[in-house]
Amino acid sequence: MSARTTLPVADGPALRRYAVDLARRHPRLLWSALGLHVLAAVAGLAAPRLLGNLVEAVEDGTTTQHVDRIILLLAGFLVVQTLLTRFARLVSQVLGEQVLAELREDFVGNALALPVGTVESAGSGDLLTRTSRDVDQLGWSVRWALPEWTIAVVTAVLTFAAALSVGWWVVLPCLLGVPPLVVGLRWYLARAKDGYLRESASYSQINATLTETVEGARTVEALGLGRERVAAIDDDVRESFAAERYTLRLRTVFFPSMEISYLLPVVATLLLGGYLYTQGSVSLGDVTTATLYVQMLIDPVDRIVSILDELQMGAASLARLLGVAQVPDDREVSGREPTGEDLVASDVRFSYVEGRDVLHGVDLEVGVGERLAMVGPSGAGKSTLGRLLAGIHPPRTGAVTVGGVGLVELPLGDLRGHVALVTQEHHVFVGTLRENLALAAPPGATDDDVRGALDAVDALDWVDVLPDGLDTVVGSGGHTLTDAQAQQVALARLVLADPHTLVLDEATSLIDPRAARHLERSLAAVLEGRTVIAIAHRLFSAHDADRVAVVEDGKVAELGSHDELVAAGGSYAALWRSWHTG
Amino acid sequence: MIALPLAHPGTADHRTPLRFLWWMARGQWRTLAGGMAFGIVWMSCQAVLPAVLGRAIDRGVAARDTSALVAFAGLMLAIGLLQAFTGIMRHRFAVTNWLVAAYRTVQLTGRHATHLGGTLPRKVSTGEVVAIGNSDISHLGQVMDVSARFSGAIVSFVLVAVILLQTSTTLGLLVLLGVPGLMLLIGPLLSPLQRRSAAQRQLLGDLSNTATDIVGGLRVLRGIGGEQVFLDRYKRESQATRRAGVEVARLQSVLDALQVFLPGLFVVAVVWLGARYAVEGRISAGDLVAFYGYSAFLMIPLRTATEFANKFIRAKVSATRVCRLLAIEPDTHDPAEPADPPATGADLLDARSGLRVPAGRMVAVVTEPSEDAVRLADRLGMCDPEPTAEVSLGGVPLTAMRRADVRRLVVVSDTGAALFSGRLGDRLDTTGEGGDRVVEALRTASAEDILQALPDGLDTQVTERGRSFSGGQRQRLVLARALTADPEVLVLVEPTSAVDAHTEARVAARLRQARAGRTTVVTTSSPLLLDAVDEVAFLRDGVVVATGTHADLLRSEPAYRALVTREAVATS
Repeated sequence: MSARTTLPVADGPALRRYAVDLARRHPRLLWSALGLHVLAAVAGLAAPRLLGNLVEAVEDGTTTQHVDRIILLLAGFLVVQTLLTRFARLVSQVLGEQVLAELREDFVGNALALPVGTVESAGSGDLLTRTSRDVDQLGWSVRWALPEWTIAVVTAVLTFAAALSVGWWVVLPCLLGVPPLVVGLRWYLARAKDGYLRESASYSQINATLTETVEGARTVEALGLGRERVAAIDDDVRESFAAERYTLRLRTVFFPSMEISYLLPVVATLLLGGYLYTQGSVSLGDVTTATLYVQMLIDPVDRIVSILDELQMGAASLARLLGVAQVPDDREVSGREPTGEDLVASDVRFSYVEGRDVLHGVDLEVGVGERLAMVGPSGAGKSTLGRLLAGIHPPRTGAVTVGGVGLVELPLGDLRGHVALVTQEHHVFVGTLRENLALAAPPGATDDDVRGALDAVDALDWVDVLPDGLDTVVGSGGHTLTDAQAQQVALARLVLADPHTLVLDEATSLIDPRAARHLERSLAAVLEGRTVIAIAHRLFSAHDADRVAVVEDGKVAELGSHDELVAAGGSYAALWRSWHTG
Repeated sequence: MIALPLAHPGTADHRTPLRFLWWMARGQWRTLAGGMAFGIVWMSCQAVLPAVLGRAIDRGVAARDTSALVAFAGLMLAIGLLQAFTGIMRHRFAVTNWLVAAYRTVQLTGRHATHLGGTLPRKVSTGEVVAIGNSDISHLGQVMDVSARFSGAIVSFVLVAVILLQTSTTLGLLVLLGVPGLMLLIGPLLSPLQRRSAAQRQLLGDLSNTATDIVGGLRVLRGIGGEQVFLDRYKRESQATRRAGVEVARLQSVLDALQVFLPGLFVVAVVWLGARYAVEGRISAGDLVAFYGYSAFLMIPLRTATEFANKFIRAKVSATRVCRLLAIEPDTHDPAEPADPPATGADLLDARSGLRVPAGRMVAVVTEPSEDAVRLADRLGMCDPEPTAEVSLGGVPLTAMRRADVRRLVVVSDTGAALFSGRLGDRLDTTGEGGDRVVEALRTASAEDILQALPDGLDTQVTERGRSFSGGQRQRLVLARALTADPEVLVLVEPTSAVDAHTEARVAARLRQARAGRTTVVTTSSPLLLDAVDEVAFLRDGVVVATGTHADLLRSEPAYRALVTREAVATS
C-alpha cells in the first residue's frame, strides 16, 4: 500500500535486438513470406499497364482478337496473383503464430520467475495489464497489423516503381502529396498512442464498475448505494466520452489531411500527363497507366499510414512484455546442500520500502518437529516474518537458514522440498482439478498419488461426485469450488509437495465458520509429522502449540510455551484471559 | 456533437430485441439521419470519380483540349475535397451514433442492476451482465455506426448501376446481378472459417485466463514451488493455440486470395465487354477507363452490405441479452398503501425465532447450527426473496413499509459485503452525511492503521472490489462503512471473523460505545465480542432457547459453552 513502483519497460535497442534475434530464428519462413508477397504485388501491377495498352490500342484502332489477347493476359496475371497471394498469406500467418507463441511463452516464463516482492510493490495491476492487454495487443499486431503493413509497404514500393517505369515525370505529381502526408502523420502519431490507451482504459473502467456493481448488488441494496453506483457509472461514461472526443478530434484533423495528400497527386498526374501529351512527349496509354498507378498507390499508402498507430501500440506492448525479463533476480543459488532440517533466523531485518524496516532484528530457532504459534496485533510483522521463514523474501540483513544453508541460496525446486507457505489466499488455477494438484507434485506423480493426497485431507468424497472427477475444470469460469473445498485443494497440494516444514499464514481465517471444523481435521492430517509455524489470530492453536511467539513492532516480544507465557503475565496472558474466561 | 452521457437514458422498450433496436434508433434519429446524409454524399463522390476521370481523358487529354482538361481536373479536385469533408463528417456522426448506443446501454444496465439489488444475483449470472459491458455495447454501437454507411452504399450502388445502364444494358445488368452474385460465392467459405476462428478464439481466451492466473496465483505457486509445472502446461496450451491459428490461416489465406480473385474476375469481365464495345466504337477510351474504375469501386458498397448483415445479426443477439436483463422485475414490491415507519426507539421483533431486540441495545446472536445466522440476518434486513411479515419494528411489519424506508432504518452488513472502488472517504461515507463519523467509525473498527499506511489517507483510490486490501483490512473497512451509515438498526454478520485476536478485542471494546443508544444485532461465535454485548441470544434450530449475558450462558448452557469455546475440537 506504500508508494508504487512499476515493473521495468524495455528500451529501443533491447527491442531491436529481440526483433533481430526473432527474425534470425526463422530465416526460411521470413524470406519465403517476403518473396511471395513481392511476386504477388508484381503480378497485381500488370492490370493498369495492360489497361493502358488497351486504351491506346482502342484509340489507334484495333481488332477484337487483339483485345481478347490482352484480356486473356489480364486474366492470366489475375490467376497468378491469386495463387501467390494465397501462399504468401499462409506463410506469413504461420510465421506470425510461431513468433507469437515464442513471445508469450518467453513472457510467461519470465513472469513466473519474478520476485514476489517486486510484483507486490508494483501492484498486481501492472502485471495483470501485461498478461492480458499487452499480450492481446501484441497478438493483434503480430497476427494482423504487421503482415498487412509489410504487404502494404511492398505493394506501395512496387507500385511507385511501376509508375516511374512509365516515365520519370510521375515523380513530380507524387511529391505534391508528401508534405501534407508527413506533417499530418507526425502530428497524429505524436498524440494517437496516449489517446487510444486512455480510450481503452476508459472502457476497462466502465466494465470494472459495472462488474463490481453487479457482483455487489446485494450490498448496493442493503446500504442503499443505488444512486452512488449510478453516478459512478455515469462518471466512467463521462471520462470515456472525453477520451473518445479527444481521439475523434485527432482524426478530424488527420483524415482530411491524408485524403488531400492522396488526391493531389492523382489530379496533378492527369494534368501533367495531359500537358506532356499535347507536347507529344508521352502517349495516351502512358497518361492512363500513370494516372491509374498513382490512384493505385492510395490504397497501400493509406494502409501503411493507418496501421502505423496500431504498430506503435504493439511495440509499446512488446516493450512492456520484454521489460519483465529485466527484473533482477532476488535469489542466488550457491549449490550448497543443507545438512539438516532445523530452521534458524538470526538478526533478521527487512523492509518493503527503503528506510522503513518492518522487522527489527528477529532471532528465532525452530526445532525439528516443533509446533510454533505466532500471534500479535495486525501490522506487527507476523506475516512478513512468516514469508521470510518460507524463503519468499530475502532478509535485508541477517539470514534465514535451513540446515545451515540460506533459503535464498536454494534453487526454487529444492526450496519447496524443505519449506512451504500456505496463506489465506487459496487460489484455484484455471484448469482441471488434476492440473491444480499436479502443480505441487514431484515429477512422475500418478493419479494414485493425487487421490491419496485428496484422501489425506478428507476431500475425496466431494471430488468423486464431481461431474468429471479429477478432470473437472475449476477456477475462474469453470466449476466453482466452495472456499472450504479450495482450501482443501491447497492443503492437498502440500501433501504432494511434502516439505518437512510448513508456514501457515492464517490459513483458515477466511473460511466460513460452518466449515472450519471439517477443515481443521484436514489440516491436522497435513501437519502430521512436520515442523509447523502457524501464524494465528484464533488462540486455540496457540494453546496447543509447543511454543508461542508474540510478535510486536517487528520483534519477538515474548517466546515460550502457553503455560509459561500465561504465568509470565505479559500481553499474551492478558489477551488469553479476556478471550477465554469472558 | 451532443453531450454524453445522457442525463436520463429513458425507459427502454424491451419487449423484443427488434423493438429494442428500433427504440434505440428512434432515440438518436437526428444523428442517424445526419450520418446517412453525409454517408450518401461521401459514397456518391467516390462513385462518380471514375466517370470524371474518363471524361477528362476523353475530352481533355485525347482531344488535346487544355481548357477542358483543366476544367475536369478542377472538377476532380472539387469532388475529392467534398469527399474528404463529407467523409470526416460521416465519421464524426458514426462515432456519435456508436457512442450514444453504447453508453445508453451501459446506463440502462447499471440503473436496472441497482434497481434490482439483491434480486439480481438470484435471477441472472454475473457473467451475463458483464458480457453486456464487454461486448454487447460495442455490437449495439456498431449497428448504429454501420447503418449510415449502409444507406450510402445502397444509394451509390444504384447510382453506378444507372450510369452503366445508360451506357449499355448488358454492362448494367452485369453489375446489378454480378456484384450480389460474388457475395454468394464467398458465402460457403465463411461458416467453416468462422467455426475455426471461434475455436481459436476460445483457445486464446483460455490461454489468456491461464496467464492471468499468474497474477493471482504467483504467491501460491512460489509457496509450493509449482512454477515449472505451470510453465510446461502453459507451453502446451500455447502450442495448441498456435496449431489452431495455423488451421485458421489455411482457410483465411484462401479467403484472402478469393478477395483478390473474385473482384479481379469481375473487373476482367467488365473491361473485356467494355473493350469490345470500344473497338466497335460504341464507347470511348475514357469510358473504358471509367468502367474499370466503377468495377473496382463497387467492391466498397459490396463489403459494406456484408458488414451490415453481420453486424445486424450480432446486434440482435446482444439486444436479446439486454432485453432479458431489463425484463427482470425486483422480487419485492412496495405495498400499495405503505405504512408509516415507526418513531425512533422502536423494538425489533422476529416472531419466527422469538428474538426480541429492545431499542438501543446491542444483542449478540449465537446459532446452532451456525448457518442459521445468515438466514436470520437476511430475514431481519428484508433481504429474503420472499420477505416475511414476521419481522416488525415497533409493531410495524417491515413488509408493510416502503423498501426505501426499511433500507434507511435497517442496515445489514454481512461477510459477503462488497467494497467498491473510488475515493476511500466517499466509499465509507455512503450517505454523504457522515462527516467526522468516518474517522470515528474507522477508530471503532480498529482500522486507523490501514488509514495511516495509505499515503493519501481518505483520498486514496480504492481499487476494484477493494482488492488492494487484505481480507482482514477489507472486513474492518466494511464494518467502518456500516458504522458510518449510523442506521437505527444495524445487523452485523461475523464482523471480525478475519481479524486477529488483538484487533478483535479492540473492536469489541469500542463497538458498544459507538452504537450507544442505537439498536445493534451481531451474529458471532467469538468470545471476545460475545463478552462485550448487552445480551446474548442462543438459537437452536431457529428458535431462541436462552438469553442472558455471555458469562450467564457459559454457566447455564453446556451446548452454548461447547459451541463458543470449541473445547471439543481444538486443533490437535
